[in-house]
Amino acid sequence: MLRGMIVSGEFGSLLVRQKHGAGFEVGELLIADQPDCRMLLQVFDLHHGSQLNDQTLEMVSGMKLEEDGSLDIQDGHLRTYVLAKVKNVLTIRDGAGKVSKSLPALFAPVRDVTEQDLSFLTKPKTPLLLGQLRSGSRVLNVPVYIDGQQAFSHHILISATTGKGKSNLTYCMLWDALDKDWCGILVLDPHDEYFGRTKRGLKDHPEARKRLAYFTADNPPPGARTLIVNVDQLVPHHFDGVMPWTDAQRECLAAAYRTYGSKWIESVLRDMPVGNIMEGTLAVVKRRLMQLLDADAKNGVIDFRGIFQPSGGQSTVHDIVQLLAEGGKVIVDTSGFSGAQEILIGSMIATDVLRQYKQFKQSGELKARPVISIILEEAPRVLNAESQNVFSTIAREGRKFKVGLTAITQLPSLIPRDILANINTKIILGTEMKPERQALIESSAQDLSEDDRHIASLDKGEAIITSTFVPFAVPLRIPLFDEVGKR
Amino acid sequence: MRFAHLADCHLGGWREPKLRDANGRAFVMVVDMILTSRVDFVLIAGDLFNTSMPSIDALRLAVEQLKRFKDVGIPVYAIAGSHDFSPSGKTMLDVLDRAGLLVNVFKGAVVDGKLSLEFTIDEKTGVKLTGMIGKKGGLDKALYDGLIRDHLETESGTKIFLFHCSLAEVKPKELEDMDAMPVSYLPRGFIYYAGGHVHVRDNASVGGLANIVYPGPTYPNNLAELEKLRHGSFVLYEDGKVTHVPIEPHRVVPVHLEACRSAVETEAALAKILAGVDVTDAIVTLRVRGTLSEGKPSDIPFEAISQSLVERGAFAVLRNTAHLSSKEFTEIKVKEGTVEDVERELIASQKERRDLIPQLMSALASQKDEGEKVVDFERRVRSDVDALLGWVGKF
Repeated sequence: MLRGMIVSGEFGSLLVRQKHGAGFEVGELLIADQPDCRMLLQVFDLHHGSQLNDQTLEMVSGMKLEEDGSLDIQDGHLRTYVLAKVKNVLTIRDGAGKVSKSLPALFAPVRDVTEQDLSFLTKPKTPLLLGQLRSGSRVLNVPVYIDGQQAFSHHILISATTGKGKSNLTYCMLWDALDKDWCGILVLDPHDEYFGRTKRGLKDHPEARKRLAYFTADNPPPGARTLIVNVDQLVPHHFDGVMPWTDAQRECLAAAYRTYGSKWIESVLRDMPVGNIMEGTLAVVKRRLMQLLDADAKNGVIDFRGIFQPSGGQSTVHDIVQLLAEGGKVIVDTSGFSGAQEILIGSMIATDVLRQYKQFKQSGELKARPVISIILEEAPRVLNAESQNVFSTIAREGRKFKVGLTAITQLPSLIPRDILANINTKIILGTEMKPERQALIESSAQDLSEDDRHIASLDKGEAIITSTFVPFAVPLRIPLFDEVGKR
Repeated sequence: MRFAHLADCHLGGWREPKLRDANGRAFVMVVDMILTSRVDFVLIAGDLFNTSMPSIDALRLAVEQLKRFKDVGIPVYAIAGSHDFSPSGKTMLDVLDRAGLLVNVFKGAVVDGKLSLEFTIDEKTGVKLTGMIGKKGGLDKALYDGLIRDHLETESGTKIFLFHCSLAEVKPKELEDMDAMPVSYLPRGFIYYAGGHVHVRDNASVGGLANIVYPGPTYPNNLAELEKLRHGSFVLYEDGKVTHVPIEPHRVVPVHLEACRSAVETEAALAKILAGVDVTDAIVTLRVRGTLSEGKPSDIPFEAISQSLVERGAFAVLRNTAHLSSKEFTEIKVKEGTVEDVERELIASQKERRDLIPQLMSALASQKDEGEKVVDFERRVRSDVDALLGWVGKF
């Protein structure tokens, strides 16, 4: 359907006059047919245009307001209209979409985009379904896939203001990935929401019994693993980024480990001497370890009350890594933990995942192994300027070993620029705060410099995906998880 | 209430006659000690026998000892383990059950495709017992998946659950690659979970379930276990107190030597170590590993060394030189571990069939029984394999 016509503009910002009643929307995709190709355009701004000067328009509005509401301008549909600012996104030629390098002709008609126009959006070899393509608020019957192996290993960011659908998107991604053996996914779930203990969730997926593992410390349902981690398996570097440590405290942790090996924590809690570490430092470290590990030490008796235990749980981390390395999806319920404990658990698992995959690379097995993604909620807790930990290491070099992060946040601006730039795929949902939009725009794989309004106007479930693994910044609609689950 | 809990007796196990004999005597010692402990009943949590079709000798030993319990009115409650449960569903335990020598507590019915277990009630104490068989290759997971729990958990009274599998939350680090099930598969509300299958001694509380107990084997089942466990064991339970009781028909003297010198020097070092050891009536285990810079492993007269130890009074000498190599020969890397470990690793690499392979191996490794005709033997093996292939993933 004819929607408008190109009337002026420059590369990257063309002006399209809207056909009367055509109803352009910000973010809408349009097609300008050219003799040898089609140009995919996207609306990024809208404003009113008129053949009448401002004073006349103000006068007409005054007459309508103060005297006769039915009064109208003669030939109004010709004299007043909507102008859309559009950018030329792609040139489609011979069934392939390539970055545009030329302008569409002046007075070129602009029409609706159709499913046939987008036939170049093919299904990759390792597809991860994200939703349906969206043109403005219109949803097209064009599924949007991303190459999951590439996207996961090069990291994914899911960014949105609260309530805009981050969890729903994560649900949908996990649901689609659950039966895929080319990826293992670890979910550190601080709200215990993805498994679906008391409602519909991933446990209801037809492949859940085979491929989904659920670890929880809280009354595990049949088939779930009780989350216990043996305290002897902790090593000092697991505590990096978990909480701030002074140099002296860090040295104390290392010295205790050197002195007592796997029993170092127990030794510190039992007030055993550690080399030439000052008593005061030892006491502080002991107190912090007790707080972190939910332990108590009285009269030489140590009581571990949380998931860290002196017996049992010796294979927990190993089992999780094995499950992931075989393409399993693992949910760790961290809802009962403090933030620091959650990071500590995640750090233990992530460290072993990275180590295992480095070994796979050395032994030549890496190609046959699934990519692993670690889903981190509130990612800036570990991806920030202050913390150097295994997650920032994965963000910087994990892709070489097929280990990636899926970072979820509403505050991407808190993630350091170099890490944000390393996150190749960004799924941007509604983001109302300007600084957050700016951080996303500045680090996107495609030029989103004109999309600030588009991002601000994204409704619940609407998103833009920007990535080197999609041909352009694709607007999409994410289905509701309940609908996906039922399908 | 007082009871004994044993598991993994593996009667008929060990190829070496002396060790097989020691294994049998350990079982007799267990029965002796239980009889003097005046227990109310005995639990056997699987793998009473080493195979589903035990030899006459193993069967005789079991019958003789179980009859001693029967004669004094001590009931024995048991489940079949992964070793004494055949792929076609047959177990010698059923024969012993019919003979009144023990009670197989794995009882129930399949209701709408789900397994509903029944309780067996001990007459003297009123304790309610039930349990789940063990299967090789983690196939028992399907049974637990389809287990109806509600009536087991809500049943009033003192309850004991027998199981024969590895539990993920409590398996030791050295067995981290072993197939294991989550503790959450066990029904809640039992005072004691009598485990078998994993040859460790443990008493754990996990996820609100207390007294998840592995008694350890009544006797170690291979050289590595002799070195690690040193002795067999069983459990005595009395009013909430769990005690692992050691069984040691012979002392175990483990000798480890790292060989990095010539064969001659290694032999001398070994002789020096052995000279200072009391080997009287002991089982001596020799584990020599490393790479000889001169000479080859066969230059070390292990046979003569073993013979001299026997002459000094050693009950038996076992050796492992699988990791002893020579620089003069091409190195063959052998993965650390027992035969079972190596098998497990190879099977684990077979993604699609890793559950099936151990079952098939077990069925195909079955030996012709005494007096069994070749045609019957072939029919039995074929039947087992057929049943297995048609049975995968079903009850």
